[in-house]
Amino acid sequence: MPALPLTLIELKAALNRLPGIGPRSAERMALHLVQGPKEVIKQLTDCMQKASERVQICHICGGLTEEQPCQICDSPGREPGLICVVVKPTDILSLEKTGSYAGHYHVLGGHISPLNGVGPEDLNIAALEKRLDQSEVQELILALGSDVEGDATSYYLAQRLGRQGLKITKIAQGLPAGSDLDFADELTLNRALQGRIALDHEG
Amino acid sequence: MHLAQLRLRDFRNYQRLDLRFGSGFHLLLGNNAQGKTNVLESVYLLATLRSFRGVGPAQMIRHGSPGFFVGAEVVGHHGCLIRYYWSMKERRLSVDQEPVRRLSDYLGLVRAVVFCTEDLQLIKGSPRFRRRFMDLLLAQTEPAYLHALQQYVKVLRSRNALLKAPRWDQATLEAYTHSLLNYGNQIMEARYRLVPKLLPLAQQAYRRISGDDEGLECAYAPAVREDFQQELARLASRERQFKTTLLGPHRDELQWSLKGRSVSEFGSEGQKRSVVIAMKMAQAELLTQHAGTPPILLIDDVMGELDQKRRSGLLPLLDRSHHAGGQVFMTCTEENWPRELGRRLNRWIVREGTVNPSSPH
Ligand SMILES: Nc1ncnc2c1ncn2[C@@H]1O[C@H](COP(=O)(O)OP(=O)(O)OP(=O)(O)O)[C@@H](O)[C@H]1O
Ligand SMILES: [Mg+2]
Ligand SMILES: [Zn+2]
Repeated sequence: MPALPLTLIELKAALNRLPGIGPRSAERMALHLVQGPKEVIKQLTDCMQKASERVQICHICGGLTEEQPCQICDSPGREPGLICVVVKPTDILSLEKTGSYAGHYHVLGGHISPLNGVGPEDLNIAALEKRLDQSEVQELILALGSDVEGDATSYYLAQRLGRQGLKITKIAQGLPAGSDLDFADELTLNRALQGRIALDHEG
Repeated sequence: MHLAQLRLRDFRNYQRLDLRFGSGFHLLLGNNAQGKTNVLESVYLLATLRSFRGVGPAQMIRHGSPGFFVGAEVVGHHGCLIRYYWSMKERRLSVDQEPVRRLSDYLGLVRAVVFCTEDLQLIKGSPRFRRRFMDLLLAQTEPAYLHALQQYVKVLRSRNALLKAPRWDQATLEAYTHSLLNYGNQIMEARYRLVPKLLPLAQQAYRRISGDDEGLECAYAPAVREDFQQELARLASRERQFKTTLLGPHRDELQWSLKGRSVSEFGSEGQKRSVVIAMKMAQAELLTQHAGTPPILLIDDVMGELDQKRRSGLLPLLDRSHHAGGQVFMTCTEENWPRELGRRLNRWIVREGTVNPSSPH
C-alpha cells in the first residue's frame, strides 16, 4: 500500500499531539481537512491564530482573558474581600455557572503532587501571597477538589497563608469524593459553596 | 441473597457458560482441571472484583481472547443485574445497565466468603494477608472504611515519593503527614472496633471445628502504640534516612494465638487449618449479622482436606445458610465429596469447561 504523502503524515502527527485525539482520529481529521473545501482550512487557521494571539493569562488571577486584567478582576461589582482559589482556569467557568459566587478568583495551576514532582514553588502561590499583602481580603475559599492532593494542597495553603483577620475555608461538602470540579454539576457545586468549612491555621 | 444466573464468556476455560440456579446447596463435581474452581472464582470476582487466587484480571481471560465477561442476576434485598467486562484496553462494570462510577457504590451488592487452600496464608503468610482480611471485612461492614483506606494508600504513596525526592520542603511533608494521620487514625479505630466483634465468633467456630476449647485468642497489634502523631514525629530523622514512611496502619498485625502461643509460630498444621476456617466462619457470621442475610459461601476443595470431625464443625454454618435462603457452592472430586451433606443437594457435573446438572441417584 502506498504511504500517505509526507505533509499529510506531518499534519496527522500534529493533530495526534492534541489532547483526546488518538492516531486514528488524527488520520481521519487530516484526510478530511485536505480533501475538503479550502475555506474550512482558512477559517480554522484564522481562528486558531486569532485565539492564540488574543487569549492570555490574567496577570492578577491567572484566568483566561483577552484583556488585562480580566473582566472578573476588573469588575467593581464583585466582592473585593473574597478570593476563591482553584486549580485551573476552566474551574472558574464551572463556578461562574453556579451564579452564586460573586467574589474573585486565583488560579493555582495544579496541586502539590510528590508523585508528579510538583512542589509548591511550581505553583502560582507567591502571586497569591502578594494579593493578600496588597489588598484587604477577608476570606479565602479553597476549591481544590477533595482528593488526597487537593486536601494536602489545601492544608499547605492554610498553613502558609494563614494570618490575622483572614478566614480560610474549603469547599468539600457535597462534592463527590475524589472528584474535581469538572465532574461536579452546578447543583452540587452550589451546595458545596454554601457548606464550606473553616480550616485552622496559626496566626 | 443468591445468584439466580451466572454468565461467563471467555473466562478461564469457559468460552461460554450460562447457568441458572436457585438458593441452597450446589455441589460442583468433576475431575481435576475441569473448571470447578474457576466457577467459584467468577462468583468471588463479582463480590470483590478480585480473584481469590491472588492474580490480576489478565490471568482470568481465556487464553487467546481479548477479554472476559462475567454477568449475574442477583436475587434478594438488592436484586440486580451485574455485567462486568475486562480487557487490557477496556473495563466496563454496570449494575442494571447503569455504569458503576464508584467502587463503594458497588461493593456489597454481592457478598461472598471463600474457603480455599490459599487461605492458609492467613496464618502462614506475611501480616499483609491479615491486614487484607481485616480490610475486606471492614469494607463490607463499615460504609466509610473503604474510602479512608483508599485515601490512606494514596497519601502513603505520595508521602513516600516525597521522602524519596532529592529535595522537598518541610511544609509539604507536614501537609501529607496531616492527611496520613487523619486517614490512618480512622483505619486504626475501625480495626480496634472489629476485633471484639470478630473474636467471639472465631472462638465459637473454633470450638465446633476442633471439638475442644484450646483457648483461641486474637489481638489487634497496631504499629502505632498510643499517639500516631507523636510517634511519627519521633521517627522523622529515620524516615529521612530510610526514605519511606515507617509508621502507620500499613504495618499493623492481627495476632492469633492458642493458649497464649502464636499459631503461626507454634501451631500444628491441623491447628493452623482449623484457625483459618474459624476465621472464615467468623467472617461469614459477621457479614450475616451485618446484612441480615448470609453471604454466598464458596468452598473450594477444603472439605476433602478435612477429617470427619473438622468437617462436621462446618456443617452448622452450611445448614444455617441453607435455612436463611443463602447459597453455597462447593467443589469436590467425585471420590471425596462429603456424603453427610446428602439431603437437598444440587449436583453439577463439571467437565472441560461445561457444567451440567446431574440427577441424584
Ligand atoms: N486463562 C485461562 N484460559 C484458558 N484456560 C484456563 C485459564 N486459566 C486456567 N485454565 C484452565 O482451567 C483448568 C483449571 O480449572 P480449575 O482450576 O477450575 O480446575 P478444577 O476443576 O478446580 O481442578 P482441581 O480439582 O484440580 O482443583 C485447567 O485446565 C486450566 O488449563
Ligand atoms: Mg480446583
Ligand atoms: Zn483576573
